[in-house]
Amino acid sequence: MTEVSHDPITLEIIQNSLQATADEMFAAMRKTAMSSIIYEVLDMGTGILDAEGELASSGAGIPGFIGVLDKSVKVLVKKFDKPGDIEPGDVFITNDPYYGGVTHLNDLVVAMPVFADGKLIAWTANIAHNSDVGGKSPGSLSADATEIFQEGLRLPAIKMISKGEPIPGIFDIIMVNSRMPDFIEGDLWAAIASVRIGAKRLVELATKYGIATFETAMRDFMNFGEQVSLKALADLPHGTFEMTEEQDDGRFFNVKVTISDTEFTVDLRDNPDQDNGPFNAGHDDTLVSTQVIFKALTSPHSPANGGSFRPLKLLTKEGTLFHAKEPAAVGFYYEVGIRVYDLIWRCLAPHMPEKLPAGHFASIAGTFIGGIHPDTGRQYTIIEPQIGGWGAAFGRDGNSAIFSGVHGETYNCPAEISEARNGLTIDRLELCTDPGGEGEFTGGRGIRLDYRIRRDNSFLTLGYTRSRIAPWSIAGGHEGSQNYALVMRKDGTSERFAFGSGIRVDKDDVIRIITGAGGGVGDPKKRDPEKVRDDVRNGYLTAERAATVYGVTI
Amino acid sequence: MSGKTIRVATDVGGTFTDLVCFETDHATGEARIVTAKSDTTPPNFEQGVLNVLEKGGVDPKSIDFLAHGTTVVINALTERKGVKVGLITTEGFRDSIEIARGNRPDFFNLHYVKPEPFVPRYLRREVGGRLSYKGEEMRPLDLSALPAIVADFKADGVQAVAVSFLHSYADPSHEERTLAELKRLWPEVATVASHQITREWREYERTNTAVLSAYVQPTAERYLTRLKDGVTGKGFAGSLYIMQSNCGVDTLDSVSKIPITMVESGPASGFWGAAELGKLIGEKNVLALDIGGTTAKCSLIENGQVKIMTDYWIERNQTSAGYPIMVPVVDLVEIGNGGGSIAWVDNFSKLHVGPQSAGAMPGPAAYGRGGTKATTTDANLWLGRINRDYFCGGDVIADMKATETALTELGEKLGTSADDVARGIVRIANNNMVNALKLVSLNRGHDPRDFTLVAFGGGGAMHAVALGQELGVKKVVIPAGASVFSAWGMMMSDLRRDYFVTKLADLKTGAGAVIEGLFAETEALALKQFGAESIGADKVKFLRYGKFRYQNQEHTTEVLVGSDISDAKLAEIEAAFHETYEREYTYRLKAPVELVGIHVVASAEVGKLTMQEKPKSATPASAAVKGTRKVDYALEGIHDATIYDGTKLEPGMAFSGPAVIEDPGTTVVIHPGNRVEIDGFGNIHIHIKA
Repeated sequence: MTEVSHDPITLEIIQNSLQATADEMFAAMRKTAMSSIIYEVLDMGTGILDAEGELASSGAGIPGFIGVLDKSVKVLVKKFDKPGDIEPGDVFITNDPYYGGVTHLNDLVVAMPVFADGKLIAWTANIAHNSDVGGKSPGSLSADATEIFQEGLRLPAIKMISKGEPIPGIFDIIMVNSRMPDFIEGDLWAAIASVRIGAKRLVELATKYGIATFETAMRDFMNFGEQVSLKALADLPHGTFEMTEEQDDGRFFNVKVTISDTEFTVDLRDNPDQDNGPFNAGHDDTLVSTQVIFKALTSPHSPANGGSFRPLKLLTKEGTLFHAKEPAAVGFYYEVGIRVYDLIWRCLAPHMPEKLPAGHFASIAGTFIGGIHPDTGRQYTIIEPQIGGWGAAFGRDGNSAIFSGVHGETYNCPAEISEARNGLTIDRLELCTDPGGEGEFTGGRGIRLDYRIRRDNSFLTLGYTRSRIAPWSIAGGHEGSQNYALVMRKDGTSERFAFGSGIRVDKDDVIRIITGAGGGVGDPKKRDPEKVRDDVRNGYLTAERAATVYGVTI
Repeated sequence: MSGKTIRVATDVGGTFTDLVCFETDHATGEARIVTAKSDTTPPNFEQGVLNVLEKGGVDPKSIDFLAHGTTVVINALTERKGVKVGLITTEGFRDSIEIARGNRPDFFNLHYVKPEPFVPRYLRREVGGRLSYKGEEMRPLDLSALPAIVADFKADGVQAVAVSFLHSYADPSHEERTLAELKRLWPEVATVASHQITREWREYERTNTAVLSAYVQPTAERYLTRLKDGVTGKGFAGSLYIMQSNCGVDTLDSVSKIPITMVESGPASGFWGAAELGKLIGEKNVLALDIGGTTAKCSLIENGQVKIMTDYWIERNQTSAGYPIMVPVVDLVEIGNGGGSIAWVDNFSKLHVGPQSAGAMPGPAAYGRGGTKATTTDANLWLGRINRDYFCGGDVIADMKATETALTELGEKLGTSADDVARGIVRIANNNMVNALKLVSLNRGHDPRDFTLVAFGGGGAMHAVALGQELGVKKVVIPAGASVFSAWGMMMSDLRRDYFVTKLADLKTGAGAVIEGLFAETEALALKQFGAESIGADKVKFLRYGKFRYQNQEHTTEVLVGSDISDAKLAEIEAAFHETYEREYTYRLKAPVELVGIHVVASAEVGKLTMQEKPKSATPASAAVKGTRKVDYALEGIHDATIYDGTKLEPGMAFSGPAVIEDPGTTVVIHPGNRVEIDGFGNIHIHIKA
């Protein structure tokens, strides 16, 4: 079949197959990855892009990676613009936000051009967090980095496989720059297998239906994404909304959101200068964070593709922390990103109460613990985001202990596996019942997680926000509670952290992770007394606080 | 002996209780087959079983082998009709079933609601004591709080108690001692400990499994007891076996202890049937497809073996994290596409099929029971694929007016004709099912061209050829009696138990003895359990699988390994792993390989059916022709198809498409160019290219 078909059923079948292919790429990568951050946390995403790099379909574990790959591939298309630059069997890599890498150096983006009948018809690509890409600290993130050079090996959008053959030296360079060369090699091959499987499927599709029909289906799919977003915009309140919010460090962030029938404009120009440390994001990443909340607001259940985001406009000022200039350090970009996401959410919540619940713990709460496994003698590194409490909504209590808004189909690591793999002991993983989030509808609870270290000279690195300023509430509910870590030494002393890198911990020290409760909704005095009694019976609330906060005597 | 063996399978479903009876004459090998159907009779399900036996004219006294399948467990779970459960865990981990894994599959939805745990927090209690991941005791078990816990549970009306401790997969002794003390303090309560169900790691999954097992235990036990009493009360003195989710049957006593293993027994018997059918007709690689009213399920059978896994979840979908049940379940993919799936047009003029189903009430528009929505069945009727004058085997008069109205309504939204809508529905439904079949085949490194598609269930035969053509399978086989195929599968089942044990071991010198020891220990346990049911060691067959991975990976690849494992055999095992891994994932690594656990399949034949092949008939296929009618084959156009009466087809008959075979339970759609042959067992073989 070579003629172009515009039969809507055929187009739909191709579109379903694009989605199935992105999902298959995702499954293949998940199953073969070496690092738990990929296979368990699913800190990864896969995508199919058209020849120009527009996102046609995505498979992702986390919403924060949905809109990354188009930006990477567009940089590749621009850089490799001469005949013969891009050939069948080639595979490209980038990890540098100043060269299409979008996020930070740990995230390796692997992309493969797809050819049918000698014509470039699409790209398959994926992104995943790799455990260590060099730099000054183990795990590559350091809270005191001041330049990107300190954060690891920079791969500025380069070819790594040419016509199916690895280019000599590239893998060697990548591996020798990592503290965990076996992991990075395994994870990279998992990524390559994933783009290859995807490319194979796309060639089959294009061959079966014809290249022109295949391309029409991709275009049509993106137009569909745009229509869905436009329809949703029409139903949102229109106008300009503004929010300024104090941060943990005393700075203030500002956003102005303007919604019309055709555009959703986010203006972040009035914000602090870029940071001297690693608390910065590139423009592309700020755009991704904006896209995540935009999608949640407009069409959480329809496919996300390039068309979905066409009505979204982002305004930033170069040199601010939402649009950092090279060579700013960007290791903790994701905490900047979730601040943008939460700021827009908070800005709009009062204007669309049925769509937006109260604030959640809103931090990736990235926790890095490493050292030598006391039983195997091998190096281990835990890289984990944490779960926490979500805000209440009108009519229901918030969820307890789930991942933040920019994570999604992410799984925490079972204690039984963590103890075997990492050689530490998990004393407890339970819901944290500290005060916070009270209301007619209560915020969900965060967690209390204790890691007991089994060998001297291990380390902790972390970077949490919402550690001073608590998750926000709605309509008279109480604010949620803060995210932080306590390092409880075996001598009985204890120290509280939100940011830190390479903090030394020794045998029998306990690292206690506390994540916040989500914000409450409504006056606690209006809560159904039966629910208050249930809360007390279940140990979520003390009888004393039931009386003082809710006015219910047990 | 009467010179006959009578084997009966009964299957209790939500609406009907089915019966299949094979009466085999020892002298001639001839089998007389009886099928019957009667209403399911909740809550006294045994009554429905007795009714259907009576209806089929089967005297319980005469039955030698009775296999029984039931949806009682899955229904108790999904309808939340279990009992109040108390949970006892390791200190610091009582919230495990509420925290779960923290995932949000519906990740853009800010109003996602996390599944609620089956045990509220006040009924989740902790006791002291701790093991390491190696099973070493770090702190001794402290049961001093147990009497108070029992008192509270009693006061709160708890009827079943689940116990789950950290690392009990490595050493169950703390759980065993807690169970013993519980039984001493509270003899009448139902109890279960996580290690009794599985010896694999992951505390949330294992704990939740124990909780759900406890939740259904009193209900299931009562059900099984009444079933046994019911049939023995009517004189049944043969062996009674219960269908399991791992494609085997098990004894009633064994199932009563851990009833959760019945959870997916329905689909399991069909897939086992497909594997057995494959062996019978010399096709060891089978893609099995079961299309019912609401869903389609598929599974891949390689080299005659079904794949059994312990990664099973209920209520898990794109909008919910669901609940894990870590028991051996046949590896299957299920999608919301069946005969009753509703076709609909979204706000953007896109046509979709399912996952909403019209169910039995009101059913497809053509049922004439007030259904106004077009379903896949309506589309098949409209296109002439289903005979409008022989709808549901002639039991229902097809309301074609209602079908036309429903299709036209969709057509108006799409700006097209009812014909085009019907074709669109069939194509989209087929595409959904093809994607599901790809998930179990292509996505796992299998080439469909090496497989035979075996399709059954009410709707399997209608779509099978189109799917087979799309996938490029070797051929399509529709089994004789496709609509009661699951019950047949039950009669072909062995007494089977799958044992999964987590244990880490690097493949290096010394590992051979460790691995052999682990297998030997597990096999000894299996023999002991079979022995307790009077099944001798000589009757038990073992299959040994190792679960391997490259060091530091998480997901494992199962590799069949031989007996008497020693260090000398490690290289061979490692090579087999590399090969299996590369086939599935396109590459291999130089990284060290480690064992993460084992999977032992222990099975014993318990008098399953032996099929007798019939000689070819001299009657030509034309004797079975009912007539011709126009059939719309969607992409292949409209053709005059020859209609065959399925009940008149005999071994050796052969003909070509376009054709349709109709029997009371099934409609087989044969496309133009297909070549059809009936084998000696009455199965329909469809060769896709003539």
